[in-house]
Amino acid sequence: MITVRIPTPLRTLTGGNEQVQVAGATLREVIDTMEKQHPGIRDRLLDDKGVRRFVNIYVGDEDVRFLDGLETKLAAGTEISIVPAIAGG
Amino acid sequence: MSTFRPELATPADAVLSARSALVVGAGGLGCPAALALVEAGVGRVALMDDDQVELTNLHRQTLYGDADVGRDKLDAALDALGRVARPDQRVEAVRTRLLPDNARSVVRDFDVVLEGADNFATKFLAADACVLEARPLVHGAAVRFRATVWSVAAEGRPCYRCLFEDLPEPAFGETCAEAGVMGPVVGLAGALMADLALSVLAGTPRHSFFSIDGLRDRVREVPVGARSGCPLCGETRRISRIDAVCYTASA
Repeated sequence: MITVRIPTPLRTLTGGNEQVQVAGATLREVIDTMEKQHPGIRDRLLDDKGVRRFVNIYVGDEDVRFLDGLETKLAAGTEISIVPAIAGG
Repeated sequence: MSTFRPELATPADAVLSARSALVVGAGGLGCPAALALVEAGVGRVALMDDDQVELTNLHRQTLYGDADVGRDKLDAALDALGRVARPDQRVEAVRTRLLPDNARSVVRDFDVVLEGADNFATKFLAADACVLEARPLVHGAAVRFRATVWSVAAEGRPCYRCLFEDLPEPAFGETCAEAGVMGPVVGLAGALMADLALSVLAGTPRHSFFSIDGLRDRVREVPVGARSGCPLCGETRRISRIDAVCYTASA
């Protein structure tokens, strides 16, 4: 299983859960599975060009932009972090 | 003795004392950043804000104390910075927000700009104004346990719009006003902003994107690439002036 850490603005879609456990061999599969469990979340992460510009998705410590994007392969136990652009201080 | 980066062959004091920095936002990022810049010996440091100190600011806005609640932030900040500044340093107040009609004229007066704004409109405005005026810009942001810091070169390549393109719809972006922020995380981010700005002023800039996870005490350095279609710094750039309507999608 893959652990996905959910940022605050998206927790309305995950019943308030800070993280969810999802099966999937690639980032695309994980997001597809999450969409079935939490409808609407895919649209918050992806647009027709891929990962939305103001959303960063990390597999472990690596930004998926610098891996294989949605086709990035995931080993069991991998942790995915979703980090939206932030403002404030 | 150099107060900044003693490993440099030439003491940086003389260089820094002839340089200027603008800090946009005298909040949780701007306070530690401005203090570090003044302590490092930057000759002219200006703070830009138009807000007053509130009780809820005090846990992270380190230039202010209980007695400052209700005062203009810049009055309190100048008092605090004045106590540590050397006689030959100038610490200035710019008593307004960064706005479409003043952004370019304000930033062009400084060698480096640091923005710790609490809203996306100001972040994009600062990014656009600095590239158009060829000024290096250090971005900082912090929400909850997470912060990001990024030093962008005067010409961009990459710039803030390479990474984030345009203002997010309000539902997508997080701001600390909505989600809160942890004091030590924002303090660390503000200090890192100052460090990157000092590197720019000393002529040894570092342009990595830093992501700070205060919950797990991790600092991640991510190389960011320039986007070929970037409207601000790409080959076919479309942004050639500041148009107020472009900064109203998010408040």
